[in-house]
Amino acid sequence: MEPHFPKATSDEVSSEDVTAVMTSLEPDQLISAKAKHHCPQRQLTGVEMILFWALRIYLVLMFGVVIYQIWTGVR
Amino acid sequence: MNERRTASRIQAEVTLQRESWADGGNSGDVVITHEDIDRAHDRVHVLETRARRGFLPRMHLLWLLIGPGILVMLGENDGPSMLSYAATGARFGIGFFLPFVVLTFAMACVVQEMTVRLGAATHRGHAELIFDRFGPFWGWFSMFDLMLGNFLTLVTEFIAIRAGLGFFGIRPSVAVLGAFLVLVVALMTHRYWTWERITLGAAMFNLVFVPVALLSHPRWDAVGRALFTWGPLPGGLTADTVLILLADIGATVTPWMLFFQQSAIADKGLTTRDIRFGRADTVLGAALATLAALATILATAPLFMHHMSAANFEAAEFAQALQPFVGHWGSALFALGIFEAGMVAAVTISTSSAYAFGEVARRPHSLNLPFRQGKSFYLVLLLEAAAAAGLVLIPGIPLVYIVLIVNVIAVLAMPPALLFLYMLVNDREIMGELVSPWWANALALAVVIVLICAGVLFGVSVIAPNVLAHLGGR
Repeated sequence: MEPHFPKATSDEVSSEDVTAVMTSLEPDQLISAKAKHHCPQRQLTGVEMILFWALRIYLVLMFGVVIYQIWTGVR
Repeated sequence: MNERRTASRIQAEVTLQRESWADGGNSGDVVITHEDIDRAHDRVHVLETRARRGFLPRMHLLWLLIGPGILVMLGENDGPSMLSYAATGARFGIGFFLPFVVLTFAMACVVQEMTVRLGAATHRGHAELIFDRFGPFWGWFSMFDLMLGNFLTLVTEFIAIRAGLGFFGIRPSVAVLGAFLVLVVALMTHRYWTWERITLGAAMFNLVFVPVALLSHPRWDAVGRALFTWGPLPGGLTADTVLILLADIGATVTPWMLFFQQSAIADKGLTTRDIRFGRADTVLGAALATLAALATILATAPLFMHHMSAANFEAAEFAQALQPFVGHWGSALFALGIFEAGMVAAVTISTSSAYAFGEVARRPHSLNLPFRQGKSFYLVLLLEAAAAAGLVLIPGIPLVYIVLIVNVIAVLAMPPALLFLYMLVNDREIMGELVSPWWANALALAVVIVLICAGVLFGVSVIAPNVLAHLGGR
């Protein structure tokens, strides 16, 4: 999905607003800057991939346990 | 003289900011949004206050910068959490669980401090960073965990609201609809700062459990002994104690907290210079939340001492059962506290979902946005809350069971969420010098191990309860 950030119209922005933005925000805090620049995707190492999958499997198994507990509780 | 010094300090702050714009190299090509302007005006106050010296300006700066940490900690003292603490005190007393709850909040501090650094260093929300750094495949997994957990938790918040107001004879439909309207009104401010202060004010009512605890006349020597000697688990390790252990852990550390605090820090506009105050905010929030949690356990402990069965109590029943020990006003306060816990958490949890949705869908996501500019943000927030509120009104739902099981699900979903956080906060490319030191990593690893062990113990208690007997239980 394309980023969509509505720009403030000129009648909404006073010179005081622009000064406040320039003096009090860091450049990468601006919405337009964040929309333009994203952190690049990193390559996962083998160990990281194993950890991710292991925890995913753990979660699926544990959710199975919860469903089993609810099922036995209902019975 | 002092004024002149302050003015020159403010000028220095401004110069610093201008230099950072020049370094960023994009000052000539700036697109300003409504959200930027609101945030900038809030930050001007921070800059001006930081430039002043002395104790009072420091306290004023703290006042300006606190918020996300207290909100997340008191928000997590939600309906199911307070009911878990109430069940803990009523069924197991204070010996083991008072220090145990303090430990769980220490764990929460370790985890949430990482989100403070991450939010301040990147100015981005948690969901956005997971999608950007790990790609959509893992990003959607984490979103699914968050959305499922948040929706189930929201259902329990409305259960708490319904049960708390039920004590005062308010009909469930009126209670739930009224709470939904409060949530809508809180959002109508369209300003992060105002929303944060209103929600903070409401969250402070969580401390209403403190007077209830005092009214129950706890024996302070026993409280002191419990806190400093850590008694054994009453009845040993059983399926019941494991469930309550997990419910209490899930009452302090849950995935929505990571997403909420980081997004709120980005929305508030905190920078790396504010990290110290972000940490103070988190610790202060944890201290207040611990106080409320311990007070709840103390308040219901008389039920344990008088051997009253509280196995299937809902909030209103807890309040009624407590009446002989804390009086009518005490029980009313208890019921009011359960309502407040559900109400504040309904606001913060639905906001955490809306932040995450906006970050992932790349739609505007800020409480500084007027409705027409942040339609998707506000609609996700309100639709999720409305669906949860509607579900609670279905007759015959086993409310107590849902409440306990939701906290268990939160504990189970935490290790994968913590792995994302751990990797992000150690990612030098986005964190620079703010990566976690070794001791913070060791603490985070200890939290993950505790959570996985608790999850496995829960699995064993359900699938093979006999094994618990070999571990010293019954």
